[in-house]
Amino acid sequence: MSQAYAPFVDRDTIVHRLDPRAKLVGISALFVLAYVFSNPLVIAVPALMALALVLSVGGYRNLRRVRVIVLALFVVGFVVWPVFLAPGGAVLVAVGPVVLTEREVYIALGRSLRIVTFILGGLVFVSTTTTEELVRGLRQLGVPYPICFAVGTALRLFPTFIGAAGTVRQAQAARGADVGGGSIRERLRGFIPLLIPVFMTAFRNIQTQSMALEARGFDPMGGRSFYGDLRFQRRDWLLTLASFGVMGLATLAAVQGLGRI
Amino acid sequence: MSADPAIALADVTFAYGPDEPTVLEGVDLAIPRGAVTVIVGASGGGKSTLLSMLNGLIPSFIRGEFSGSIQAAGTDLTTTRTNAVADRIGMVLQDYEAQLFGTSITAEVAFGPENMGVAPAEIDARIDRALALADLDAIDRRRPPASLSGGQKQRLVIAGVAAMQPEVMILDEPTSDLDPAGTEALLAVLQRVQGSSPAVDWAGPETVVMVTHAVEEAIGADHIIMLADGGVAASGPPEVVLRDAAALRAARVGVPPLVTVFDALGIDREALPLRPQAAEQLVAAEGFSYDPTALSAGAPAGTGGDTGTELFALEGVRYAYATDREPVVAVDAVDLQIDRGAFIALVGHNGSGKSTLSKLLHGLLEPAAGSVTLDGAPLASYAASERGRRIGYVFQNPDHQLFAETVRDEVAFGPANFGYSGSELDQRVVAALETVDLLSLADEDPFKLSRGQRQRVALAGVLATEPSCIIFDEPTTGLDATQHGQFMELVGRLNRTEGLTVVMITHDMETVARYAPRTVVMDAGRVVFDGRTRALFADPALLARYQLRAPQVTQLAHRLAPDAPPALSERELITALGGAR
Repeated sequence: MSQAYAPFVDRDTIVHRLDPRAKLVGISALFVLAYVFSNPLVIAVPALMALALVLSVGGYRNLRRVRVIVLALFVVGFVVWPVFLAPGGAVLVAVGPVVLTEREVYIALGRSLRIVTFILGGLVFVSTTTTEELVRGLRQLGVPYPICFAVGTALRLFPTFIGAAGTVRQAQAARGADVGGGSIRERLRGFIPLLIPVFMTAFRNIQTQSMALEARGFDPMGGRSFYGDLRFQRRDWLLTLASFGVMGLATLAAVQGLGRI
Repeated sequence: MSADPAIALADVTFAYGPDEPTVLEGVDLAIPRGAVTVIVGASGGGKSTLLSMLNGLIPSFIRGEFSGSIQAAGTDLTTTRTNAVADRIGMVLQDYEAQLFGTSITAEVAFGPENMGVAPAEIDARIDRALALADLDAIDRRRPPASLSGGQKQRLVIAGVAAMQPEVMILDEPTSDLDPAGTEALLAVLQRVQGSSPAVDWAGPETVVMVTHAVEEAIGADHIIMLADGGVAASGPPEVVLRDAAALRAARVGVPPLVTVFDALGIDREALPLRPQAAEQLVAAEGFSYDPTALSAGAPAGTGGDTGTELFALEGVRYAYATDREPVVAVDAVDLQIDRGAFIALVGHNGSGKSTLSKLLHGLLEPAAGSVTLDGAPLASYAASERGRRIGYVFQNPDHQLFAETVRDEVAFGPANFGYSGSELDQRVVAALETVDLLSLADEDPFKLSRGQRQRVALAGVLATEPSCIIFDEPTTGLDATQHGQFMELVGRLNRTEGLTVVMITHDMETVARYAPRTVVMDAGRVVFDGRTRALFADPALLARYQLRAPQVTQLAHRLAPDAPPALSERELITALGGAR
């Protein structure tokens, strides 16, 4: 038995029950809101909505995985953007050589929030959509099946890899392997006992997997059926319509100059 | 069984590449329709290669150097792609982990029928049927396959192929990780062979071909094909092939225990029994008398010294795996004491918590409640390296830990991590390699060795740290009869002469009976039996309750003297029946 490695969170929330296509449109609406405006106070709205969604679907463990990236984005944002921007407005921060004006802080904050919204939106999607739903959703959007399957397989291999790595880590820990500490050189050496068995296992798995696919009658070019209920329901239509409405209005508002700094 | 074979090979010769050795040479064979055929032979003897030909994976998917013909009911498998015959010929490969494609049990079983273009409503019915066949209908179908135990995963792969409702089902060691009850249930399904119209009311494949190392599974077959030296060494019904002990040994195939016993007792080959019932009749007909007082008290192999010095003590131990829904409790309220020098078998059905418990003993997992002590001190109070030095762990699959360029370096990895170096390290490595009889291969690449040898390299790596206890998790999976015997003799000897404490997880009841004086039975995370192995096998009601199955030797002993402690090994049974003639 192993712990949950896949990003999919096995819960039964309304977001889980949405059609993957409707979900994609809904998340796109959040992306548009985050993209067309530049005022961080406005972008904070889709960002907070995405955050609330991730938490409400049980995606906390996925959030934990990306927390370092999210923090890094804010830090890097405050360092990088001011270099390219002309200063403007009142000086908000002045510590030694670091001087940040109101304009710089606002723009840096806005850009970081925008990328964070994209990440959180993506998390909502992967936390609530199984690989099968995604593959089928892509197929119904007209993506050729071989491409859908490649996407699905890549997502499936991820937990296989992590699972193999977990077993190998336990096996080597039992032999006293220490993969932390020491100089970079020592650390790299420490990884070899993990990497080689993981790659060998993964390589063999991929060989077996391709044979098993043949034996299960898989033909990327052939016809196939799809099992499971996947029809656009009323809630999917409502979400899709509302999302397109929001996207339209937001674009209109942005063109009018609202939500700028 | 009809005359027209389901699959026929003629003059087949194959090598994996121009420079690779020939695996099969000039093979002619027929898989009878409407029958269960079992393929036996040594590890590395071409069994899996042969299976891959039965659905055309060789030569259409793995080309290699192939010559000859493969025919399946009018289809030329040398020119037909495997996925085109998958609806007729289903195949379960050996490594079940790599054959799971779905993110839930339902999706996994639906995958094959989807590929065939089966209508969704029909897939629903097929999922129900396949899961019932594989005895998985009690598990939440939304669960991801990765969250299942090894045996459950193996059954899920079988369900996935069964949902395609093939006429022919090919299985490569399908019972390697199944508990005794699961094995029995699967064999029952496979033997429920149907004569006609498989598409309607499909109850099982018409024709079954499987590879196995378990001799009892071969006894239940209709037809046996024995491979040796790249060719068919014997082919025929079990009554013919399995009574020839000399030929079986030469092909490194397990000899049925009752054949060994009655061969030693001087019975003619044609009269040798394969099943306990026939043996009981033979005992009566030949006038043998059975004297159970001739049996010793401990394990037949003389293992398990009772030192009375406590090594492990567990009290109220509990462990649960986190999932997105409720946590799954794997081990609950376990009290256990293990003395130095003991040899303990840990048994129970798939998912009963055996592996989790063994990892708690090693400290690879920490209990959520309760305590584990080692030599009187809490396990958590030891540094990880100290714990690892005292307790060795041999995993099921040696390939999860081999990485070094030579066998010597591989074996030195553990002791070097635990602080040994220089001449002391060399001495330990040499001593460990000598113990497992691999010193002559010390400078070879571990990846080039056979599975049995790789398992011994893994054991040597643990032995070189000179632990007081080794935990084995199904260490003999994938080994043939000869390798299995050698490995167990080695472990038994270490226990006897070096006082090594052994805790062994296994589904192999012959091994339990022969080597372990004490057995711990787990069920739903709890210890439900902890006592003498002979007492366990003397109690059919207990065995039935926990879905265990006594070895054939013990079954016969029980038939002959229901109230006496049963014989546990071939040698004991021979002694109790008056000794070899």
